[in-house]
Amino acid sequence: MSSHANDPRQPSAARPYVAPQIAPQDLPIDYAGFIAVIFGVAGVMFRYKLSSWLALIFCAQSVANMRNVENDLKQVMMAMMFSLMGLITNYFGPPRPGKQS
Amino acid sequence: MANPSLSSLFLALLCIHALFLAFAHADSHFEGFEAEDDDDIEDTSIDPASLRSPPLSDPTPLATDPTPQPPASDIPKSPPATTTTTFDFWDDEEFEGVPVEHSTPEPPSDPKSPDNATATPTPPIANPPRSFTVEILCGSFLIMFAINYFTGKRENENIALSWAAQFAAKDSIFEKNFSLLGIGDGGDDAPLLLKEGQTTFKFYASGRRYCQGLLATLELKSRHDLIARIYNMIVPCRDEISFEVYMNDDAMDHVVFAMAKKKAAKAMHKDVRDLQRFGSILSPPTARKWVADDLAVISESKEVAADLITDAVIDQVFGDKAFEKFGKGLISLHFSDQHPGVHKKVLLFKFVLPAAKNMADMTRLVALVPYYIDLVGRYKLSSQARSKTEGARQKAALEAQKELRNAQQEAMQRRKAERKKMMEEAEAKLSAEAIRKKETKERTRQMKKAMPRMKMARGA
Repeated sequence: MSSHANDPRQPSAARPYVAPQIAPQDLPIDYAGFIAVIFGVAGVMFRYKLSSWLALIFCAQSVANMRNVENDLKQVMMAMMFSLMGLITNYFGPPRPGKQS
Repeated sequence: MANPSLSSLFLALLCIHALFLAFAHADSHFEGFEAEDDDDIEDTSIDPASLRSPPLSDPTPLATDPTPQPPASDIPKSPPATTTTTFDFWDDEEFEGVPVEHSTPEPPSDPKSPDNATATPTPPIANPPRSFTVEILCGSFLIMFAINYFTGKRENENIALSWAAQFAAKDSIFEKNFSLLGIGDGGDDAPLLLKEGQTTFKFYASGRRYCQGLLATLELKSRHDLIARIYNMIVPCRDEISFEVYMNDDAMDHVVFAMAKKKAAKAMHKDVRDLQRFGSILSPPTARKWVADDLAVISESKEVAADLITDAVIDQVFGDKAFEKFGKGLISLHFSDQHPGVHKKVLLFKFVLPAAKNMADMTRLVALVPYYIDLVGRYKLSSQARSKTEGARQKAALEAQKELRNAQQEAMQRRKAERKKMMEEAEAKLSAEAIRKKETKERTRQMKKAMPRMKMARGA
C-alpha cells in the first residue's frame, strides 16, 4: 500500500529520540506499594501475621512493577521493613500478653 | 498461548501447595511429639513425682477429673479450652518457656481443685499440630509469584521482540520508510526497543518526509505480575500498540478525523477534547463505498472523511469483507492538527497486538501508518472547507488564550495570598515590638515592589 515510486526516507530530517520528561506526580500510582505499607503497619501494630504476609506479597508486586528504581525503592523498602518486622516479632518475639490469659 | 502456560502455572502451584502441606503435617507431628518427649524428659529430671501427678499427662487429668465433678459435662468442656490456649501459647521459644512454667505451678495446683489444675498446666503438653496454612499459602504464593515474574517477563519480551523482528528488521515496513530506527543514534547495533517497566516497550523511528518522528508504544498485559494476571482473568485486557506520528507543521492541513468501533467512537467523541470541539460523528454516505458497519467515523467535515477514507483503504482493510480478516485489530485512528500537548499535529493509531507467533496478521494495519503519513502529508483542503475550519480554529485559539490568561491570573493571586500568609505567620512569631515595626516597614517596601510587577503582568 505504501509503495511509492520514490524513497520516502529522509536521513537529513532524522532526529534522535528524546525521552519526554515526566513529572513525578504524573507517574502512575503504585497501589501495590501503598497496600503493602498499610498491611505492613497493620501487621506490626496488631501482631497479625496474615497481614504481614500479605504485605510481603504486595511488596513483591510493587517490586515487580517498579519502573524507576531510585524513585520507588523508598516506599517499597519501607513496606518491606514493616512486613519483615511484623513477621519477626510474630514468630520470634515474646508471646502476646493479651492472648495468654 | 497464554492459557496453557497459565494452567500449568496453577498446576505447579497446586503441586507445591500439596508438597508443603505434606511437609507441614510431617513437621507438625514431629514437633508435637518432640514437645511431649521433651516435657517428659525434663519433668522426670526435675521431679519424678510430678510425672505421676494428675495434670501432667493427657489421659490422667481426664481420669481424675470426673471424680469430684459430674463426669459427662466436664470432659467435653476441658479439651477445647486446652487446645485454644495452647494454640495461642505456642511459639518458637516454647521449649525454653515450658519447663519453667511447668514446674512452678504444679505443686500448688496439686492440692487445689482438679478443675483449676487442668486449666493451668495442660497447655504445653497437649500441643496440637500448629496450623501453618497462612505460611504455606503465602509462601507458595510468593514462590509462584517469583516464578511467574520471570516467565511472564520473558513472554512479554518475546512478544515485543517478535513485533520488532516483523516490522522493524531489515526489509520491513519501517526499515523501508524511516531512515533512523530505534532510540540510538542510528548505529547498527543500536537497540530498537526501549523497555519501560515490564509491560511497556517503545519503538522510535524518524527521518521520513512529512513527519518528524514516530513513536510506537507497546502496552502489554502484566504477565509478570501474578496478581494482575489473576485480576485479568476476571477483567480481560489485551496487548495494545499505539503509534504516535508527529507531523511536520507545514505538512498537515486542518484535519480532525477519527475512526473506531461504534461504541468506542462515541466514548472518544465525548472524552477527547479536539474531537469534541471540532468533530461530529458522521453517518455513512449512501453514494459510495464506506467502511464496515461496525465502524464509526468522527470528522470535522464530510469532505475530510471522504478524502481520508480512500478506496484503497476500504478495499484493503476497512471494507466489509476485509475488515473481518485484516481489520479486527483496529482500536482507533485519530488524526488531529489540534492535539493537546507538545506536538500539535499528530496521527494516532491504536491496534490490538496479535500473539507473538501471528505477528504477520497485523501487517496491513501497520502498513496504514506510512500510508496515512503520506496521505495526510499531501492532503490539502478545498478553499471552502478551509475557511470554515479556519474560523473554528481561531475561535478555539482565542478561547485557549483566554483560559491561559485566567490560569495565569489565578496563579498570581494564589502567590499573593501565599506571600500574605507567610508574612502573617512571621509576624505572629516575632513578639518584640521593635522587630514587628521593622517587619511592617519591610512589608510596605515589598508591597511597593510587588505593585509594578503586577501591572506589568496585567499588561502582558
